[in-house]
Amino acid sequence: MKKMLLLTLITLLALPFGALAQDMPHAGVEIVATYMQSGTYDVGAENIEADFEAATGIELELVASPWAVLNQNHITDLTTGTGEFDVMSGEFWIASVYDKMLPLDELVERDNFGGDYIPTIWQPGPSGYFDGHRIGIPYSADAYGIVYRTDIFEEAGLTADWETWDDYLATMDKLAMHLEGSDVAPSVFAWGAAEQTPSIFLGMYDGYLVDADGNYALEEESALAALQQMVSLLDYNPEGAAGLSIDEANSVFLTGNAATMICWVSFVRAAAQNPDASLVVDNWAVAPFPGPGFPFLSAWNLFISEYSENPEAAWEWVKYYINGEQATQRFVELGVGSPYLSTYEDPDLVDAYSHDFPGMVHNLSRAQSVPWVFEAFEIFFRNTSELVIGSISAEEALANTLASWAEVTVPPALVQSAAAQGQQQDM
Amino acid sequence: MTIKKRATWHKRHDLPWLLVFVLPAFLIVVAVQFYPLAYSALLSVQEWSLTESQAPQGFVGWDNFARELGDSTFQRSVRNSIVITGGAVILEMFLGVCLAYLTMGSSWRMRAVRTLLILPMVIAPVAAGTLWRILLNSRAGLVNHLLGFIGIKGPEWLASPDWAVVAVILLDTWQWTPFVLLVAGAAIASIPEDLLEVAAIDGASRWQVFLYVELPLLMPLLLLTLVFRTLESLLSLDSIYSLTFGGPGFSTYTMTFYIYTQGLRNFNFGAAAASSWMFMVFASICIWLVFWFQRRER
Repeated sequence: MKKMLLLTLITLLALPFGALAQDMPHAGVEIVATYMQSGTYDVGAENIEADFEAATGIELELVASPWAVLNQNHITDLTTGTGEFDVMSGEFWIASVYDKMLPLDELVERDNFGGDYIPTIWQPGPSGYFDGHRIGIPYSADAYGIVYRTDIFEEAGLTADWETWDDYLATMDKLAMHLEGSDVAPSVFAWGAAEQTPSIFLGMYDGYLVDADGNYALEEESALAALQQMVSLLDYNPEGAAGLSIDEANSVFLTGNAATMICWVSFVRAAAQNPDASLVVDNWAVAPFPGPGFPFLSAWNLFISEYSENPEAAWEWVKYYINGEQATQRFVELGVGSPYLSTYEDPDLVDAYSHDFPGMVHNLSRAQSVPWVFEAFEIFFRNTSELVIGSISAEEALANTLASWAEVTVPPALVQSAAAQGQQQDM
Repeated sequence: MTIKKRATWHKRHDLPWLLVFVLPAFLIVVAVQFYPLAYSALLSVQEWSLTESQAPQGFVGWDNFARELGDSTFQRSVRNSIVITGGAVILEMFLGVCLAYLTMGSSWRMRAVRTLLILPMVIAPVAAGTLWRILLNSRAGLVNHLLGFIGIKGPEWLASPDWAVVAVILLDTWQWTPFVLLVAGAAIASIPEDLLEVAAIDGASRWQVFLYVELPLLMPLLLLTLVFRTLESLLSLDSIYSLTFGGPGFSTYTMTFYIYTQGLRNFNFGAAAASSWMFMVFASICIWLVFWFQRRER
């Protein structure tokens, strides 16, 4: 009798733990997730870390590193098979190790994951793919755009509805006349942040980035025209623009000294509406990024390492961090561009961001990622920077780039990405 | 037993003990110094891009060296290294010795001045680079603001290929002149007073005393300082990383920055190892030149 009683008691006591184990199948599992140290994506993760641990019982360690270090860590970890990180935050820059990422198709299908993504962002390129399999889930989306001063445009009787860079430059000519004698420049861009210059080039360039054989290449005539047009933009910038960093260029716009700015909108969105940091509150809007090229897209993905010992727990974190609700919250609290349509259709936000959303959604729907590994990117931006400071001509910049690119191999994942986004030369 | 026999006995008897004590240290030196060197030598003759393969991709002989030597960015980084290190070290040596003479003495004022002058040396180079990046900002930086006070329009420090090189030289000079000041100050203080008095009694002017008495005595230490500073300046990466990041364009790409880019950003280990060996030869030539000059002076 005593034994029966004891057994019943033990069973009763163990029941909650059994239920807990069912609710938290990964309780006690430790995973490591990486983020870029930016004060945005990493802070967004930190903000929900405790809730995630409480909800799943998974012990999460977040590792935030500066951009270059983050990429180095990922490439080293995956090529050496160390397996230090379960969930990795990255973009196409780490495409050379895409083959070491876990295919996520089954998990996505099993959990019916995806939802209302902006269609272009859920496609190969912005989304990490390898050999036809999804390996990355996008959690942010920011496209290069142009912000402009609505008050100045109204005064000058101009509209910011340009479709091509020729249209934009024509508007700059009119603005230059209108602003003559004032301290306000028609345009500003962070020319001193050399790695940003390709963004303008990509908007002006109408050609392939990878040739039919899968090598880095550019259509020379179109590339030359784009490089020359890019440099001509400098004439509309304030004095000393060739040395402006991103923060300095933003500051020129925020202090009211430029009528338009070519930029990552997410870098300026919050500050522009903050009366303590901006003189242009309620007097700015996002305009379409001109063609014939495309707006450069930054879409951070979460990947799961194939060396992860706990891929299911890692997937739990991916789902917890990436969903429409979290993306909207990160947009509102931290200014992180959302890849979800629901953010841009939220009735409360649509009103508050009427100056921002239409242009942003338009640009995001046209935006593309590039198939460049960092070495190829650096070769390009160093040479365009030489062009901007007048050390070499557009012809030399192009010739130097193509000569150096001949030594760089395009990872298969990026050839596939280029093909998927129409950036590869026709066979 | 004669003294000679005793010494031989000691040698034989102590040899195992000597080996016991020396061998661990010797092995550690081999492990931490010679192994990496030998491994990098091995890598320099192999093709290896970490992003393409987890292991070296095969023996390529001198190809890496030939490719790097023919690379216009590498050639430019060598030129930049010579200009930046040459310019900075000459300035540092000159200013350091001048400041050492100007701040001689043991009064509290001089001690305070010396302490203040030494401060830049204790700032982390990456922080110093960031600090100077702010100071040299062409629109809002203090340097151009001060130049404006005296009617000079400041240059585009970080956007002009020439001024960016000057900016790097300025930073190195600002940070490391105190090192020369310290060494030169100690050397000057150690010159015997009576030598100077004898020279003065013989009618030597202050300049002649410096040129014929003090400078020859200071020379060995100054040359050693020159070697240290040349090496340090050639090896410097963090200050350039934070001040110009090698730009604008390739204007301030130095050999160290080039090797860093090849190895740790592009993961081209073979090319980076070959460049490192060429850098070592280059640095060795610089040092050999200094010692050659020292021997000639003797």
